[in-house]
Amino acid sequence: MTLQAYLTLAAMLFCIGFFGVMTRRNTIGILLGIELMLNAVNINLVAFARYHGDVSGMVFTVFTICITVAEVALGLALVILIYRIRRTAVADHLDLLKG
Amino acid sequence: MAATGDYALWAWLAPGVSFLLLSLVVPLRRSGRPAAWLSIVLSAGALAGAVLAWRATVPDMARRILWEWIPVEDGVLTSVGVLADADSTLMLILVALVSFLVQVYSLGYLADEPPPSLGRYYAYQSLFAFSMMGLVLAPNFVQLFICWELVGLCSYLLIGYWYQRPEAARAAVKAFWVTKAGDVGFLIGIVMLWSRTGTFDFSELFEMAQGGSDALTGLGLVMAFIYLGAAGKSAQFPFHIWLPDAMEGPTPVSALIHAATMVTAGVYMLFRASFLFEQTPEVLHAVGWIGAFTALFAATMACVQADIKRVLAYSTVSQLGYMMAAIGAGFASAGFLHLLTHGVFKALLFLGAGAIIHAVGSNDIFAMGGLARRMPQTFVVFLIGTLSLTGIPFFAGFFSKEEILGATWAGGLTMPFAMLVLAAFLTAFYMFRVVFIAFFGAPVAAAAGAPAHGAHGAHDAAHAHDAPATMTVVLWVLGLLALAIGIGFARSYPESEFVAPGWITPLAIGVAVGGIALATAVYPLRWISPERLARRLSVLGEAAHERFWLDDFFALVYRIGILGLSRIVGWIDRYIVDGILNVLSAWTLTAGDRLRRIQSGQAQDYIYGVALGVLLLMVWMRWPR
Amino acid sequence: MTLESITFGGLAVVLLASALAVVLTRNLFHSVLYLALSLVATAGLFLSLDAEFLAAIQLLLYAGGVVTIVVFAIVVTERLVGDRITQTSRQLLAGFGIAGALLVAILAVFRRAPLTVRRPPVSGDLTRAIGESLLTTHVLPFELLAVLFLAALVGALYLARPDD
Repeated sequence: MTLQAYLTLAAMLFCIGFFGVMTRRNTIGILLGIELMLNAVNINLVAFARYHGDVSGMVFTVFTICITVAEVALGLALVILIYRIRRTAVADHLDLLKG
Repeated sequence: MAATGDYALWAWLAPGVSFLLLSLVVPLRRSGRPAAWLSIVLSAGALAGAVLAWRATVPDMARRILWEWIPVEDGVLTSVGVLADADSTLMLILVALVSFLVQVYSLGYLADEPPPSLGRYYAYQSLFAFSMMGLVLAPNFVQLFICWELVGLCSYLLIGYWYQRPEAARAAVKAFWVTKAGDVGFLIGIVMLWSRTGTFDFSELFEMAQGGSDALTGLGLVMAFIYLGAAGKSAQFPFHIWLPDAMEGPTPVSALIHAATMVTAGVYMLFRASFLFEQTPEVLHAVGWIGAFTALFAATMACVQADIKRVLAYSTVSQLGYMMAAIGAGFASAGFLHLLTHGVFKALLFLGAGAIIHAVGSNDIFAMGGLARRMPQTFVVFLIGTLSLTGIPFFAGFFSKEEILGATWAGGLTMPFAMLVLAAFLTAFYMFRVVFIAFFGAPVAAAAGAPAHGAHGAHDAAHAHDAPATMTVVLWVLGLLALAIGIGFARSYPESEFVAPGWITPLAIGVAVGGIALATAVYPLRWISPERLARRLSVLGEAAHERFWLDDFFALVYRIGILGLSRIVGWIDRYIVDGILNVLSAWTLTAGDRLRRIQSGQAQDYIYGVALGVLLLMVWMRWPR
Repeated sequence: MTLESITFGGLAVVLLASALAVVLTRNLFHSVLYLALSLVATAGLFLSLDAEFLAAIQLLLYAGGVVTIVVFAIVVTERLVGDRITQTSRQLLAGFGIAGALLVAILAVFRRAPLTVRRPPVSGDLTRAIGESLLTTHVLPFELLAVLFLAALVGALYLARPDD
């Protein structure tokens, strides 16, 4: 398969994830969208690594996966905390930034 | 021999010192009589300085620049100094003399004033003397103008000296406004002249005129503007309206300012700048016409006045017209000569009138009568002044008036000449009308509660007596001076610049005598009854009484023009200018309100913003390719 | 139609379909399950790219760890028993527009870029290469990763502590 195909696939996955981030009401839903976006990034990295014969792309992917895991853990911890305080996980209700 | 202009400088500064002391040292001023004495002593010093200055003059203009006021890149813009030549020192003597005499006289006239007010009066008098001398000695237009304005200020202060009287306050404001209108034109003219020639200085301008400089062509509009200032100050038609009202001030003030010195500043200025006016004969033509018309016009109004000071005020306007007519005919020295003689005898007349008012307690000539017997000294000097004014030989005014008539004829202004002759006739008539009514006939007993202008208690004509010494001495000095001038000219009169036809002198004398005869016929002898005369000339008399409705006209113009304009401008300011600003601010507030909604507080909306931004960036980056 | 392309096509379809399902399903729990499916499909993609080690990590950490964490979070924040866990989406059209535009932009960028078409042959054991690189060239980020995990651990514990 051409590199083009992998990149196209990753781009579509990224945009789907982005769509999810923008439209989902539940905070956890937003996090899932972020997951998809990060996934797309990983696919990109690995494809480039493979097609250029450079292994550092894959090493980078290892790092991103690890960091993603840590980020998800903390993000969900925050969601739980907010839920405890405000009894809601719906992003629309968290509008303290409103000007 | 002192440096050039030194005497003139001391003469000028003496009253300035007096003013400074009196204005700054408040206890001195509040003390009244000591303040007066200070001012009088310094003004005597000024007189001495003026006489010395006159005797020390050299034929050409002697300048002494004191202080280069505004230095600019290539030289000096204007300076402060003294220009002491034969003419200015002569005028300086007049100013110093009349100022000194009036200050002495005021000691008697205003003896009843509370000391703080008296001190205030003398402070103003000193300031006036200082400003007037500065005007006379000015070497350039700027100093002239500044002193011009200062003199106008003093006039305002002195006319409104009894400021608690509303008429006095109103008259002071009116004088200020009307002369200010002329002064605006004056200032415009001065600046225009400077923009043409690059200088304000009289000596430099004189040299340019002598050398036939190009800068001095086409000056018609400029000189017309400059003339406006003189027209305002010297009460030419239609700016004369302030002078009769200015009689609300104390009589010595009227004598000094509105007879001898301030009002003549306009004439003096034209005389000084005559070499410039020679370049614009059309302006001079207009000056002559206006002057002659003013002379006749004011003379008609003087015939119907009952207030002695108003008669003299209109007479002053009329005589100023004479002076201007002479200048307009192109013979400024004739006008200047009349200025000097008129200063003497008009001051004499005013001060004499002051003595009468002081004694009788009223300005109204019909409240006087038979004063010849009760106030003999005053009668004599007043008669001297009247004869001078009417132009009888051997009295001061005769020669200068005849010169003016000759000058007008020689200058080719025939219609103005006729007007002047008629005015001379009327002058004789109205002055002798006053003399006959006030000094002859049966004395009138005062009605209860007659107003007294600072008189010693209530007097009336039946109980009048001659004024105290301070006043009568002054009167005698002026009277003798008038006589001396008259006789002096009779023996050896100076060369005139023009050739006048021989029949002018007899005509002048004949006209004067005719006026006296008519007055005699009407008043003491009752051959013609004044009522029938009044009825015959009823329309004219009525118009003259109403001052030809000029004051009303000006008031109407003011109300409609200026107030109307200000109302329009106010509306524009409120609704259009403010309106625009209000609309703009309202739009800003609304826009702010609307834009606020972007900050919804929803994190995902912000992500939208980020995404849009990234998209735009990408589009923008790829566009040139 | 090589095996390669068929595999790729299949995996791509599964991936994209499950991703769409993640963002469009009403039920949150179903979303998570679809996410798990997409993660597995990604692992398959990694395998097709000869990155076995990464496929293994993907399955272990992502499909195993992350999904588990998310399930726990859902359990804590939503009422599982009784009400159905639903969620609706907001402003679908705008989101679709923006996402579509983004996609077009990205595609446009690398449409014209010169990209290699053929894969180079596999040079040696990739897993070994990754390991060597982790411990030689990229040892610093590797160690920092440990620090990161420590921080994350402490942070999560702090955030999730009971209220005292």
